[in-house]
Amino acid sequence: MKGQARALVRLLAVQGAWSYERMIGVGMGYAAEPLLRDLDAVEPARLPEATARSAEFFNCHPYLAGLALGACARAEYEGAPGPLIVRLRTALCSPLGALGDQFFWAGLVPIVMSMALAAIALGSGGAVLAALVVAYNVVRVLVTRWALRTGLQSGMQVGTAISASWLPKAVVRVAVPAGFATGLAVPLVCAWLVAPSGARALGAGLLACAGALALLRWGGARWTSLRVGLAAAVAILLLTRVVP
Amino acid sequence: MTELSVAALALLVGWGVLVGLDLVSVPQGLLSRPLVAATVAGWIAGDAAAGMRAGAVLELFALDVLPVGASRYPEYGPAAVGAAVLCAGLPQAGGVGVAALLGLLVALPAGWTLEWLRHANARHVHRRTAAISAGSTGAILGLQWAGLARDAVRSLVVTTAALALATALRDRLGAAAALPSLLTPVLVGTGAAAAISGAVRTAGGGRRLAWVGIGLACGLVMAVALAVAS
Repeated sequence: MKGQARALVRLLAVQGAWSYERMIGVGMGYAAEPLLRDLDAVEPARLPEATARSAEFFNCHPYLAGLALGACARAEYEGAPGPLIVRLRTALCSPLGALGDQFFWAGLVPIVMSMALAAIALGSGGAVLAALVVAYNVVRVLVTRWALRTGLQSGMQVGTAISASWLPKAVVRVAVPAGFATGLAVPLVCAWLVAPSGARALGAGLLACAGALALLRWGGARWTSLRVGLAAAVAILLLTRVVP
Repeated sequence: MTELSVAALALLVGWGVLVGLDLVSVPQGLLSRPLVAATVAGWIAGDAAAGMRAGAVLELFALDVLPVGASRYPEYGPAAVGAAVLCAGLPQAGGVGVAALLGLLVALPAGWTLEWLRHANARHVHRRTAAISAGSTGAILGLQWAGLARDAVRSLVVTTAALALATALRDRLGAAAALPSLLTPVLVGTGAAAAISGAVRTAGGGRRLAWVGIGLACGLVMAVALAVAS
């Protein structure tokens, strides 16, 4: 199938027109356009409806959208019935969202950023940060390419291909290092930024940490971390005006 | 304190737009993480180390955020750009706290602009529904490019606001300002709580939760050992 390279590049912007109406649907249609172009030569009557289907409501993790994109494009070329392709897209939303969110947002991103924080706190400077960002982006592009290729190769059997792939195992394995890395980085960053200011600062930091943890745990959904941070800042600014 | 040239400000605005686009639209490659955004912004402003310090505090807060689907979350990227510029112009003692506070203050309304963007995209899609249903490639391409352009404008506005606040505060406070010394430890402590809370929530329980605790213990031992050694 032609247009794979262009589709891959367009997948990097699959959330470019994210909306409450179709979520990443428009981005999927945008990425599908190079893949579907040749449908005009194979089955011209099918092209408009395939194009319309490609931009319907869809949501999943952006890095894994290629699995659905490739699978649906192949199904279009194989002449699968339209309602079946729509059902395939719908069926892929939740698993691709859950797998991607757990592997990337809750796994790889915290690992990379925590490693960068720890390295900087230990005095490594920006070189490690740059290396980690580059490495992450290499993984990100490779995963996007793998997703598109796997989707294109497996078509309607994409569910089986995902189950047999590295992805479900990786999702299970990434959680432990993510938790460990975050746990490791937090005290190092605190020591780096607070410890040089002395015992009083350390005490204030520990107190703020304990209070914030209690608010985040028992304060209800209104107390997001950002609001807790702002409240703590306001409290300390007011307090230092009263007791300089 | 390094004075910001027009060229540096233009670079910072450009970087902020890229950072804003990276969060959702393109390329989603960690550029919008506060540590990355602030380090580069600090480097452009003449003090990469100051950018790192401000970015590290905001990164602790960002570790609590899962940017999934239609969830609402603060936008720390352009806010971190402003924070880094402010931190680079303030004394190290207290400067990190003031810069991080600016970052938090900007991140909240910046998150609201993401909602505006999503609604604006939805209204546009709604107007072009008939054309999409007819299989118009032009309509899809138009929507995609309009969405990207809208996000670029949104990022430009947020970055400009963050930089305007940062430069105004730099001028007002100056490099010799006496800043509230406890603001930095309080915000670092709160950020630490946010990062731990996020890790605990993601871990759920059992073995994964235990590894968060093991990580914390190892980090604590390393921090104490380093403090003793220095």
